[in-house]
Amino acid sequence: MSDNKAQHKNPDRDMIESVWAEARDLVRKLEGTTVQRFAVAAGEYRIEIERGAPVAVSLPAGVAASDGEGAIASGQPVATGAGPGLGVAPGARTASGVFTLGDAPAADNRIPVLAPLVGTFYRASQPGAKPFAEVGEVVEAGKPVCIVEAMKMMNEVVAGETGKVAEIAVENGEWVEFEQVLMYLEPAEA
Amino acid sequence: MFEKVVIANRGEIALRVARACRELGIKSVALYSTCDAESAVVKFADEAVHVGPNHPGKSYLHIPNVIGAALKTGADALHPGYGFLSEDPFFAEICANNGITFIGPKPDVMEKVGDKAIARDLMQKAGLPLLPGTIEPVGTVDEAFDIAASIGYPVIIKAVAGGGGRGMNVVRREEDMARLYQTTRATAQAVFKDSAVYIERYLDAPRHTEIQLVCDSHGNGVYFFERDCSVQRRHQKLIEEAPSIHLSDGQRRDIGERAVKGALSVGYTGAGTMEFLLDDDGNLSFMEMNARIQVEHPVSEMITSVDLIQEQIRVAAGEPMSVSQDQVKLSGHAMECRVNAEDPDRDFAPAAGTLDVYVPPGGPWTRVDSHCYPGWSIAPFYDSLIAKLIVWAPTRPEAIERMDRALSEFQIEGRGVRTTIPFHRRVLANEQFRSGDVSTDFVEHFMAREAAAVAAL
Repeated sequence: MSDNKAQHKNPDRDMIESVWAEARDLVRKLEGTTVQRFAVAAGEYRIEIERGAPVAVSLPAGVAASDGEGAIASGQPVATGAGPGLGVAPGARTASGVFTLGDAPAADNRIPVLAPLVGTFYRASQPGAKPFAEVGEVVEAGKPVCIVEAMKMMNEVVAGETGKVAEIAVENGEWVEFEQVLMYLEPAEA
Repeated sequence: MFEKVVIANRGEIALRVARACRELGIKSVALYSTCDAESAVVKFADEAVHVGPNHPGKSYLHIPNVIGAALKTGADALHPGYGFLSEDPFFAEICANNGITFIGPKPDVMEKVGDKAIARDLMQKAGLPLLPGTIEPVGTVDEAFDIAASIGYPVIIKAVAGGGGRGMNVVRREEDMARLYQTTRATAQAVFKDSAVYIERYLDAPRHTEIQLVCDSHGNGVYFFERDCSVQRRHQKLIEEAPSIHLSDGQRRDIGERAVKGALSVGYTGAGTMEFLLDDDGNLSFMEMNARIQVEHPVSEMITSVDLIQEQIRVAAGEPMSVSQDQVKLSGHAMECRVNAEDPDRDFAPAAGTLDVYVPPGGPWTRVDSHCYPGWSIAPFYDSLIAKLIVWAPTRPEAIERMDRALSEFQIEGRGVRTTIPFHRRVLANEQFRSGDVSTDFVEHFMAREAAAVAAL
């Protein structure tokens, strides 16, 4: 995997990169959902990802044998650290799932804000009010960033750390489950 | 019929309910706590919702999260399984208020039958036999002396709000009455927040006999005969069988009809069980009613060929039952052994862990209701049930042989894991058990004899 820049002319490698990018994007979108496993296929390539498990890229046997690089081929795990899967205590979930491939972008250090209970996600205290947080705004630790309503009880969700809102992962008014990612913050120093 | 049912439970019963839904063409939604994310029902159900951390109070018993999950998924009904929220009238009412059909009796009926004093009163009026004793709570110690004198010692003092073997004391002699009366009241207040107690005759060695029934909202009620659950330890059932070999056909019909009449008289709908004690003279006495499906329901299914969970769902949806009383025929003998992650050699201490090996038995008339698979971890947060092993055979002796054969096939291994399988096999080999002369003190005596035999070596 160390010298994969040299392999960029290899169309197989480009194909793998593109499938990988697609998969990575999907992983982000699926964060916090109950999806445990999914597969992305393009041409002869197929990436299967199971949450909390090592990620494997499998190549057609012939390609793997002739490639000579072998790092991604032959179904070996190319990256672990699929990020905190289900079953990880909230405290341990400080970053969203991230996969790396060779010199792909560095690990995602965004901080997920998790739903403390099952309920309806609201960005503002009441309809028409200004949302607690907008993308790009810096929110302080301990300050409310949204509401999860359950059985007419409004439960404020506060930022665990100071950070810039990078993404709001749920639509206003959508139902969320326990520990579903509501939004991502970028650490203040970043 | 419902389109989507949310299952507010876990383990084998959640999977059992999901299977019934699938066969009825209903979508199912599994709820899970953090450590149950990889559970069999989560994999099997059409949808799954994470409802909280491992502590049941924050997940399976957390009403806002459970209701939220039902609303989130657009489920039109909720099956509570057994335990957890299954007999909580307050929860049933909240379901109704949120437009979700609770699969069980109506909240007010559940509340009535859940109160032992009220249930005994109602069932006596409906013609069910009761043990000699009081129906009204006993208010003073003098009253307690009078009642005990009139029914004769030994008597038992029980908390009205009690259950699971807690909040009760046996009084064998008059001189113990004052002390035990106060103790029981104090325990009842501390444990159940209700000091009310009642007194009835105590049977030293009764057989635990219970009637399974289902009632629909069209006034139909059907009994599915009885189960004998006398093999129990500290009120935890270990082996259940159906039918009881101690009832005649006439008695069976008589008590079944009375149980259904009693249930219909209070407007009961859904599946329920009436518990009776059977004494040596063949007298049945009503003890209490359980307003839920029970762990051991499969033995009744095996002797009647009726899927009780499906009936539960059907009647909750307002449909009539699929069978009438004269269509329900008792056939053969069924038996269930509860395979728990407990060490019978260490006083049934919990022995949970990861199941490295899990190979359930198969073969004819052998049923395994379980959520386990190789690699599954029995978590310390919930009950220790690994599997319910149920067999059917034309006769009781054949059922015993089949059960022993199935138990011998069952392979469960894991670091720190012990199971009740060796205990079950020893009981099945016991002459007294084989004779059928088993009462609720059987396990206690059986264990004492085994310990004595070991000590004598």
